[in-house]
Amino acid sequence: MKTRYDLMVVGGGPGGYVAAIRASQLGFRTALVEREALGGVCLNWGCIPTKALLRGAEIAHTLRTAGDFGFTVGPSSLDLEVLVGHSRSVAMGLSKGIAQLLRKHSVTHIKGHARLEGKCSLSVEGEEGAQTYQAKHIVLATGARPRQLPGIVVDGELIWGAREAMTPTRLPQRLLVIGAGAIGVEFASLYADLGSEVTLVEMAGGILPGADDEIATRAQAALSERGIRILTRHSLVQLAPRGQDALTATLASAEGSNTLEVETDRAILAVGVTGNVEDLGLETVGAEVSRGFLVTDDWGYTGVVGLYAIGDVAGPPWLAHKASHQAVQCVERIAGVGHRQALQMSRVPTCIYSRPQIASVGLTEAQARADGRPIRVGRAPLQANGKALAMGEGKGLVKTLFDEATGELLGAHLIGPEVTELVQGFTVARQLEATENDLLDTVFPHPTLSESMHESVLDALNRAIHH
Amino acid sequence: MSGINTVTMPKWGMEMVEGEIAEWHVSEGDSIVEGDDLLDVETSKIVNTVTAPASGVVRRLLGAVGEIVAVGKTLAVIAPADVPDDEIERLLAGAAASAPENKRVDAPAAEPPQPRSAPAATPEQAPGKVSGGASAAGLSGGGDDSGVAATPVARRVARAQGINLNQVPASGRHGRVTLADIEAILEANGRHLEKPHSSARPEMRSQRDDSKVSATPVARRLARELGVNLLDCRRSGRHGRVSKADVEAAAPRASVDSGAAGRADGQSPSRVESRSLSGMRRTIAARLQGSKRDAPHFRVQVDVEVDALLAVREELNRRYSEAKVSLNDLLVKASACALVAVPGVNVQFDGETVQRFGDADIAVAVALDDGLITPIVRGANHKGVVAISNEVRDLATRARLGTLRPEEFQGGSFSISNLGMFGVDRFDAIINAPQGAILAVGAAEQKPVVRQGELAVATVLTLTLSSDHRIIDGALAARFLSALRGFLETPATMLA
Repeated sequence: MKTRYDLMVVGGGPGGYVAAIRASQLGFRTALVEREALGGVCLNWGCIPTKALLRGAEIAHTLRTAGDFGFTVGPSSLDLEVLVGHSRSVAMGLSKGIAQLLRKHSVTHIKGHARLEGKCSLSVEGEEGAQTYQAKHIVLATGARPRQLPGIVVDGELIWGAREAMTPTRLPQRLLVIGAGAIGVEFASLYADLGSEVTLVEMAGGILPGADDEIATRAQAALSERGIRILTRHSLVQLAPRGQDALTATLASAEGSNTLEVETDRAILAVGVTGNVEDLGLETVGAEVSRGFLVTDDWGYTGVVGLYAIGDVAGPPWLAHKASHQAVQCVERIAGVGHRQALQMSRVPTCIYSRPQIASVGLTEAQARADGRPIRVGRAPLQANGKALAMGEGKGLVKTLFDEATGELLGAHLIGPEVTELVQGFTVARQLEATENDLLDTVFPHPTLSESMHESVLDALNRAIHH
Repeated sequence: MSGINTVTMPKWGMEMVEGEIAEWHVSEGDSIVEGDDLLDVETSKIVNTVTAPASGVVRRLLGAVGEIVAVGKTLAVIAPADVPDDEIERLLAGAAASAPENKRVDAPAAEPPQPRSAPAATPEQAPGKVSGGASAAGLSGGGDDSGVAATPVARRVARAQGINLNQVPASGRHGRVTLADIEAILEANGRHLEKPHSSARPEMRSQRDDSKVSATPVARRLARELGVNLLDCRRSGRHGRVSKADVEAAAPRASVDSGAAGRADGQSPSRVESRSLSGMRRTIAARLQGSKRDAPHFRVQVDVEVDALLAVREELNRRYSEAKVSLNDLLVKASACALVAVPGVNVQFDGETVQRFGDADIAVAVALDDGLITPIVRGANHKGVVAISNEVRDLATRARLGTLRPEEFQGGSFSISNLGMFGVDRFDAIINAPQGAILAVGAAEQKPVVRQGELAVATVLTLTLSSDHRIIDGALAARFLSALRGFLETPATMLA
């Protein structure tokens, strides 16, 4: 039997479920296929559950620094099972919420693994066997998964991927984190706060490759200060079990001259992600895959009739909010409504939930200078921000980059407490193509961390008042 | 021209050339306030209301209900009571001399600023707006303002208010026009921004007073009739007004509620559901009735063997990942070729003049839940099959969502209606007036055929051409079908 839909979405993450709901709103008869839990990695194994764990880490930090505020706190201990349980229940609750949203918006939820059978045709293998569906438009939002390193098997016991790192049963005394991108840095920060001795290994010259150099340097210093051992310009050669409950990692320095052995109890592999492009039947319709991700135009069209891809599976940046935004754009384009401008990646903000937090939008200073245009750089240290000092979190920086000629806000890079909540102000400014003057004219409330955003703009014009 | 305002037939959409006066809401001598409803105008697509551009007394109404008036022609004159009659007559005489009959092009923003000696006599505002007095016309004139620096909010409000940004002194940073500038200029002209409607829409039917909700008169009356609260309706009409369609969309919800209430009263539910026709059904009804009445239909039928065509289709779909060509797409292409080969069929006829077309603009019937619509593949004779296929896919998708633009479904010189997917063997269709002919396509099925005395099996399709005998004769229709069959049975000839 064949069932027809106007539009089908494969994958129930923040790209897929948003695409399905928007499509249904626009009048498409819509179905969404998901083989696992609704919500995708973001909700089940990424953003949301890690934030629940990080809240635990923050509390650990608060307990340790309570003395600065006059509190005497007795010896505290962590029941990891309770914390992980909290994280899982938040994830599960939200996943159920999405099932409800789909029902509310009359999106049919099909459980199973979807495979393209041909153009505009999907077969879904579910618990009750396979069924074929026809859809004029198919949106692939299958996401991505952690990239593996050759010769290293994520066994879930000694060597963890993100999933295991999120559901530990016991806190490892020593932890090795391989890869210092956003995910690696978040786990390093989390486990260090919970009490593990953390070693962070990165092949590049510094942590957070891709971030603004100045911010990355500050982040590296902050993490080092917290006792995290950071080995940059080192790559993993071997990761061998030593007994039942420990590992020996062999690291080679970039120069290749010497190797280093690190003893650890557990290791987390966080060396980037690769798109979920396998077993989708892409070859039957001739969709192009490059470096593990589907190739699309700016609107998600794959070049195969009626086939679109959005979110992680369509390439970087691998961010839930990018996926959701692409979802809406892709579906609205099919429907012939909405905006005429495709999503510009330089307007997509990035947030890293380490301690300190890091957030950014737009070009880094190096990228802006590489363009060759004269730029103005503003810096506002949080040391000069009353609210940050009151919070006892006076370390941090708000950095802004402007085109000297046009005044366009080219980029903003923040490190410090709650900066993930601040970056949206700069994101709006970029979207509206605001100039330094528009930001100067904007009133920022006192006392807030956001005042440092204003101060940074002032500084870019050599008019800083508070520092 | 002190305070005399003329109201002209607005242009709603690219192809609107005329509108029918559906109802007058005012009479000569009535005192009215700017924004009051003047009349409802019906086009083949919509019914909408024209509102007063200025306050004053209705001095003249030109045109009776049912009269069809060309776009740009004067409908009414509004002026203060103290303006002498002969001044109005003079103005009307001048307007009649200068007003174009049928070809006002509506591009208010793109028009070069031209000083006009009689600004009130010429419509130059956005669609749906009627030309106003000197002040309103002054705000809307000034040529292309897309280059004027303005904040996004200011730009949007200006568009909604019919204000040309060239007219607004800018006070914002970098010389940008801000919202405050728009408000200031509106105030200077005695207008003001309406407070936004409350966007909160309760889940249940509202009981609250809906008299302040702006709605077309038809919508308001229909809402009362159907027991729909206007607060429960979308506002898809011009100027954010609730339109008739919005009320109709909200009606099922309301009737479910009242149905439940009826049962609670102990009354047995009625078995007969009566429902007034939707706007779309009414249009379909009127147009097809008109076509059947005016155009003497005759039909010519032919069987076509399509095995070669199906092979071409399979080859195209195998070769090109961007293609999913259907038999119907190939029929569009073949029809385009046949229309070029037999141009006598590529015509429109309005009862008086025959228009012959060089290109084949082919309308393809798309079934909707409550009706059908015929989006047009323009210049199909210049397009490849894959391009046609993807265009039809896009048009059909958006037809079902209701997001086609008027120019995408208005016009066309020939139509194709295909019921093959429902297993229909053959049928005949009603001409999509003012076109000259329509092709009805049945299912392609394997059938026995006789070739040189031998029985063989072929995939056969029956095509029925309905033609308007006033302009297309039997021999011409037969020639067209024969050409079409030739292209379909020998697909390579479409490449010539």
